[in-house]
Amino acid sequence: MFNYYLRLARISILKHWGLSLLMILAIGLGIGATMTTVTVNYLMSANPIPHKSEQLYYVQLDSWDVNDPFDEGQNPPDQLTYTDSTNLMKAKKAFRQNVQAQAYAVIEPNDPEILPMIVNARANSADFFAMFDVPFIYGNAWSNQADDNKELVVVLNKETNEKIFGGKNSVGESIRIDGNVFQVVGVIDHWQPKPRFYDITTGAFNETEEIFVPFNLIAEEKVRRSGNTNCWKPSGDGFEAFLASECIWTQFWVELKTEQDKDDYLNFLNAYVEEQKQYGRFLRPIDNRLSTVTQWLENQEVVADDARMMMTMSFMFLVVCLLNTVGLLLAKFLGKAPEIGLRQALGASKSTLFFQYIIEAGCIGIAGGLLGLFFAFWGLIGIETLYGDYMQNLATLDFNMMLLAIAISFFATIIAGIYPTWRACKVQPSHQLKSQ
Amino acid sequence: MLVMNNINKTFQTGNIQTHALNNFNLTVNEGDFVSVTGPSGSGKTTFLNIAGLLETYTSGEFTLDGKDVGQLNDNGRSRMRNEKIGFVFQGFNLIPDLNLFDNVDVPLRYRGFDAKERRRRIEENLERVGLASRMKHLPSQLSGGQQQRVAIARALATEPRFLLADEPTGNLDSQMAQGVMTLLEEINQQGTTIIMVTHDLELAMRASRTIQVKDGRVSELDVVAEKVSA
Repeated sequence: MFNYYLRLARISILKHWGLSLLMILAIGLGIGATMTTVTVNYLMSANPIPHKSEQLYYVQLDSWDVNDPFDEGQNPPDQLTYTDSTNLMKAKKAFRQNVQAQAYAVIEPNDPEILPMIVNARANSADFFAMFDVPFIYGNAWSNQADDNKELVVVLNKETNEKIFGGKNSVGESIRIDGNVFQVVGVIDHWQPKPRFYDITTGAFNETEEIFVPFNLIAEEKVRRSGNTNCWKPSGDGFEAFLASECIWTQFWVELKTEQDKDDYLNFLNAYVEEQKQYGRFLRPIDNRLSTVTQWLENQEVVADDARMMMTMSFMFLVVCLLNTVGLLLAKFLGKAPEIGLRQALGASKSTLFFQYIIEAGCIGIAGGLLGLFFAFWGLIGIETLYGDYMQNLATLDFNMMLLAIAISFFATIIAGIYPTWRACKVQPSHQLKSQ
Repeated sequence: MLVMNNINKTFQTGNIQTHALNNFNLTVNEGDFVSVTGPSGSGKTTFLNIAGLLETYTSGEFTLDGKDVGQLNDNGRSRMRNEKIGFVFQGFNLIPDLNLFDNVDVPLRYRGFDAKERRRRIEENLERVGLASRMKHLPSQLSGGQQQRVAIARALATEPRFLLADEPTGNLDSQMAQGVMTLLEEINQQGTTIIMVTHDLELAMRASRTIQVKDGRVSELDVVAEKVSA
């Protein structure tokens, strides 16, 4: 009977194509608006590294001005000073630890045919790759010894490797970066966590970097740092003074396997700050924090309030569209009262008829869902155009979102169809048969 | 086979109560061809709707094929309609969006026959009413008489014990009406019990038994007497 009902639905939809089109359009608009905002929210709030997000911790220490607390005292600073980061790295108290900062560089390819290029870089420690499960195509991360020895090594992303080496295995090759010769130790596959959790400070949805170099090379001035820098007192003259200053510009992550490890590490941080207080630093009360990936994303309000509000409003719009659909379905199904009466006379029970017309409503819902996907696709392109690079990695409909759109549309239309179908099935067959 | 004892049917419209059937008593035996006549508003159609389980009654006893109809729920009534009763209406009541094949198919679908059996019955019954060659036509492509023949084919496809016809010739010219009537007579001769509501006394007299409904009651004797004197 299911196939029979599908066939009847097709005939009915095509026969009353104008009314059907209006309903599909109403649902499509509602679903399109909803899926556009749901997709943005979904990608904003997704857990980018679910299998270990509870083992990775972002470190915060409150080294800020005692008279003018950071974030009005609500949160410690969102980055660390170079001094603290390097001290924590040297302590090696965590299973893995990573200090990092955004950087940039100019690559001069060996091939004279290829022009020099400015690339976004990440200066990080060796553990970065293992901590964040960065996938490699060729080679590996550099070693901790390479960090300590400040070796000139580089990991390229896939696109950069293609530009410079034509996509071949370039491990062992040399490239000139900012005038220094670096050796390629690895090439990573396409890697774009959403959100780009490891550095929220420079944009949660920016693209991952094109090259990765050891963090220690910043101090050697072999790599130029960039990103956000905040200072609460003058840093002094010269780069050495800047590194020793209270300016915050580094991010620090640790990987801790157990809750006990976390407690131990927090104790270590507290002891570290107590020690630093003796040198006249950390004048504010101790407020050291370890935030898991999800806590950190929440703390940094990666899902913006206006995005949430837009999603709520789009759901309200969907409800309005569905209410319109209820009215149109009611008109359509009540118009079929004579046929419903006849079918009852020929042996259809009310439940059978209910099923038949709910399937028709469901078909309209699926058609509306497909149209909604089309609208959502263009809606996301519109958002990308409107917001530019910030939204570039968010404005994509993945398979899950497509399934969700169809499912929401189907079930919403089924719900919208219940009342009209129920009303239609309540018709008194004898009245309809006589009046035909 | 069909037994109605003291059936009452009351309609309530606001404060006004209308007694459509008033202690209605009737027994129809297997193989009967009963015509039901009477003036407009006498309760003929209400009787037919109750007999066809399309309407409930207010009080009384109604057994169909030995089953107490009053005890049946919606599903039970639907099943009984599908298995035991065929309908032919004045307005043909074909589904305009479906071709003849699919129209005849409707009650067979609800019976749950497989595709092969449905096709056999559809072809056989459209053949019986002389429309087998037009099974892919839409109802709008047929004349009134042909549409009524399709409705009869649809009613017969489930091989019902009863065929209930409400003014089956009411929308047809006299020639088409004669054709439909002849077809109903043939069907009755093959064993199907027919109850036909009609205003046309001439057609009514062709039934094996004629009853008159007046003020919601059966007055069979008057009509029989008239038939004899004619």
